Amino acid sequence: MKGKKKVIVWIAPILAFSGLYAQAGKSANAGRKESGSGSEVKIDNFTFAPGTVTVSAGTTVHWVNRDDIPHTVVSDDKTTFKSKPLDTDQEFSYTFSKPGTYSYFCSIHPKMTAKVVVQ
Amino acid sequence: MNTSEGGVSPVTLSQARAAYFWTNEENMGQRHKDEILYDHNHDGIDRRGFLKCMAWAGTGAFCVMQGGVLKSYSLSRLADLDPSEAKGELSFAQISDSHMGFNKAANPDVVATLKAAIEKINALPTAPEFLLHTGDISHLSKPEEFDTADQILKSSIAKDVFFVPGEHDVLGDDGKQYLERYGKHAKSAGWYSFDKKGVHFAGLVNVMNLKAGGLGSLGNEQLEWLEEDLKKLSASTPVVVFAHIPLWSVYPEWGWGTEDSAQALSYLKRFGSVTVLNGHIHQTMQKIEGNVTFHTAASTAFPQPQPGQAESPGPMKVPAEELRGFLGITEVNFVRGKQALAIVDAKLG
Repeated sequence: MKGKKKVIVWIAPILAFSGLYAQAGKSANAGRKESGSGSEVKIDNFTFAPGTVTVSAGTTVHWVNRDDIPHTVVSDDKTTFKSKPLDTDQEFSYTFSKPGTYSYFCSIHPKMTAKVVVQ
Repeated sequence: MNTSEGGVSPVTLSQARAAYFWTNEENMGQRHKDEILYDHNHDGIDRRGFLKCMAWAGTGAFCVMQGGVLKSYSLSRLADLDPSEAKGELSFAQISDSHMGFNKAANPDVVATLKAAIEKINALPTAPEFLLHTGDISHLSKPEEFDTADQILKSSIAKDVFFVPGEHDVLGDDGKQYLERYGKHAKSAGWYSFDKKGVHFAGLVNVMNLKAGGLGSLGNEQLEWLEEDLKKLSASTPVVVFAHIPLWSVYPEWGWGTEDSAQALSYLKRFGSVTVLNGHIHQTMQKIEGNVTFHTAASTAFPQPQPGQAESPGPMKVPAEELRGFLGITEVNFVRGKQALAIVDAKLG
């Protein structure tokens, strides 16, 4: 009888904590997708999402291709940054050290455009 | 694909002449060839026959205007035609978008479907002399992808294959590998021309140096070359131009067009018979404007949605048993003395 009570007592706080962490994780993720202030860009359905990402200088932005077709991440001037062709699930990163607006596109499907705003 | 939607109603001549229509094997109704000869205005143009023929176009037949005389051909009929008419003097086939290396849901086995396409070509009633591959030979410009495609193409009955690159063939190296494999005889970024039995062919490259937000692009160097290349030809020379991305504005929102194609088409205006063969959109589409016939071929790998019918122009998944009905090859015949080339699409299954 004594043993049982102890177990119940310990489990309760563990459950409460995991609940809290789950909440925290959720809201952080939601913040990244909606506001575009995170550093992740998902490529899917011939679209860069979010289309505009705002980051502070020194941030590394990560792109991941979830589309079933390869895409590239290439700055409009074709020199600042240029990924190799990314097949499904492949990734690309670039660290933006200088402030400015960096427009980029997919060089395979040039109608796909987006930008990174570095503050 | 329902031809009655994209079909033609015989209204005014100008509407009919600029009509868009789908060639569709499953709606073949006409099992005979008709020649119409009405020249009431005495100007050599058979208007009534043209309108009648355009009405047939809705059934999937392809109408060929040959110096005022109209002939319609249906795929099933092709086998019954008198050999001297069907054979013509030049027969070739167009295949496109083999995407060797693609392995996603829309088609997990592009090797099998390319092989099926070659089998279809090898079974054509008139053996094609050569093939035109209008690009996206590979999916990721990988050497093994090009190698596999080449191996399969070698099993075709045709003696030669002429290529133009798609955007998937020039990834990562600005087309260096493509040019080494297929462009040794070509100029600069891979354009070139050749003649076969009096027909002039020009292979163009519109997938290089693409700009953000833009469409396909030919560029000034290539346009200048094309102008020069065509200058020496007489207006009665049939011309075939082939390039990957459509040279007419199919659907700009999806990048289905070429920025500077109008310039190229202006050099072709004076010719009596111009055929433009493209790929890229993974579906057959056809348009006639004056003496120019525009045609896009189906892919041998996977279909894409019709313009605006989906979120994006990516691979379109269809039930496995229906896949081959969305893939295909195209047979083209030129008959000496006739103006236009006869273009017939065939599905893989």
